[in-house]
Amino acid sequence: MNKKTDRHALIGSRSLAALMVVLLALTGCAHKRTAGGPADMRTPESGAPSPAAQVVRVSSSSATPAETAGGKADSGAAQATDDSEFSDDAYTDDEDFLDEDEDTEPAMDVPDPLAPFNRAMYVFNDRAYFWVLKPVALAYRKVAPKQFRLCVKNFFYNIAAPIRFANCLLQGKFTSAARELTRFFINSTVGCGGLNDLTPLYPDLQTHPEDLGQTFGRYGIGEGFYIVWPLLGPSSLRDTIGMVGDIFIDPVTYFNTTTIGIGTRALDMINLTSFRIGDYEAIKDAAIDPYEALRNGYLQYRRQQVSE
Amino acid sequence: MKTIVTFCLGLLLVVTAPAVAGAPGPMETLRVPVNKVLALLKDPQYNTPEKRKIQREKLFEYTGDIFDSVEISRRALGRNWRRFTPEQRKKFTELFAKILKKTYSRKIQSTQEDYKVVWLGEKKTSPTRAVVMTKVVRPSGDFPVDYRMHLKNNRWKVYDVMVEGISLVKNYRSQFNRYLVNKKPAQLIALLQKKVDRMENE
Repeated sequence: MNKKTDRHALIGSRSLAALMVVLLALTGCAHKRTAGGPADMRTPESGAPSPAAQVVRVSSSSATPAETAGGKADSGAAQATDDSEFSDDAYTDDEDFLDEDEDTEPAMDVPDPLAPFNRAMYVFNDRAYFWVLKPVALAYRKVAPKQFRLCVKNFFYNIAAPIRFANCLLQGKFTSAARELTRFFINSTVGCGGLNDLTPLYPDLQTHPEDLGQTFGRYGIGEGFYIVWPLLGPSSLRDTIGMVGDIFIDPVTYFNTTTIGIGTRALDMINLTSFRIGDYEAIKDAAIDPYEALRNGYLQYRRQQVSE
Repeated sequence: MKTIVTFCLGLLLVVTAPAVAGAPGPMETLRVPVNKVLALLKDPQYNTPEKRKIQREKLFEYTGDIFDSVEISRRALGRNWRRFTPEQRKKFTELFAKILKKTYSRKIQSTQEDYKVVWLGEKKTSPTRAVVMTKVVRPSGDFPVDYRMHLKNNRWKVYDVMVEGISLVKNYRSQFNRYLVNKKPAQLIALLQKKVDRMENE
């Protein structure tokens, strides 16, 4: 019984992998870059490739300046009394703000050959969020107490430990791998099957969640190109392949039927979204071009993850 | 004995002089207003819609001069800054600052989750540049927030905010760059103006 259904899940992932290969062949442009870069869009909290939550995840990353610092953006209007700041003389010619190492442009050197498709997918995801995911997550938030939602979140994060563990090993991060393992055992036992996360009590056990996309990045494989998947959100060629690889070590993949598997992922996604309602809206609100804002945010975020 | 005293006094002067003469350090400059903002946001008296406006005004008052809006605008435009006339730059800075102010104040005011800011430290990257590292701690997960600051007119000012490694300035730069590939500065200013008008009508 189990075997049969496993095959089901695997067939799903395999066809996805096949699609990826076709895409790769079609576009003919694979990894040229050497520096690290974004990988798949697994959310650090979930560890599992939780579809649309990823759109939201990236959103939340970019939106959070809002929560903390952003609100403090000051008024140029109020203080712009000294006009000399705006003249050319105020700055020497070589100051292009791009010369510092902190100012390399991750998004500009990752090609976007699928831009028309990606933009369409962006619109699709945007609608899916506002019409389906958000109302569902809001309703869920109303009925499910926060403590329960936190438990669900912890559970999904915990159960995806094999992905993080394997990728720590693949990247030669043995201390992190040991931490992941310890964390998994503590949370699975004392933490009641992963429902509780005890790491806040043990800061030493905190890790940066690793995934295959990041591992590829570590190996010097570039992003390839940017791609937006329906429901899964922003990704890159490299991160997509990484995500497919991670699916094979994700325990959720082996939940006994495809229906339960999909249901589980949907719960994970809705649950995560329930914590992030308003984040995507905030990014969209703040953006001049929301598509580009998400693209750049995703690429910056992944490069940061790879570098950690 | 006397020489030792003189030496100690001299040493004391050397050690304290920069602290007295110079501006407060980057982290100190930031910590005071940020803590004020956090207290303001937690204050229950601002829970009504009318009071929220007052809260927002106070928010701007506290944070008014920790951000360098000209530098933020300049960096957000990158090379394109040169294509703008001084008047256009001024207008752009004004509009862009308004947009940031509006969107982010709305966002932080609507955040319901309990969170606190942990100050991790500061790192000087040059005598006039520094990064202040913080972490926002909240039940649904922590995330790092770094402030890039520079010394301008003897005061530390923020010119970029990085959240989980995502730079706000770079994010806007990629949007503006893309827009300006085949559009003119005046068109971008008109677009920002439209956005500001829309936000003011909401």
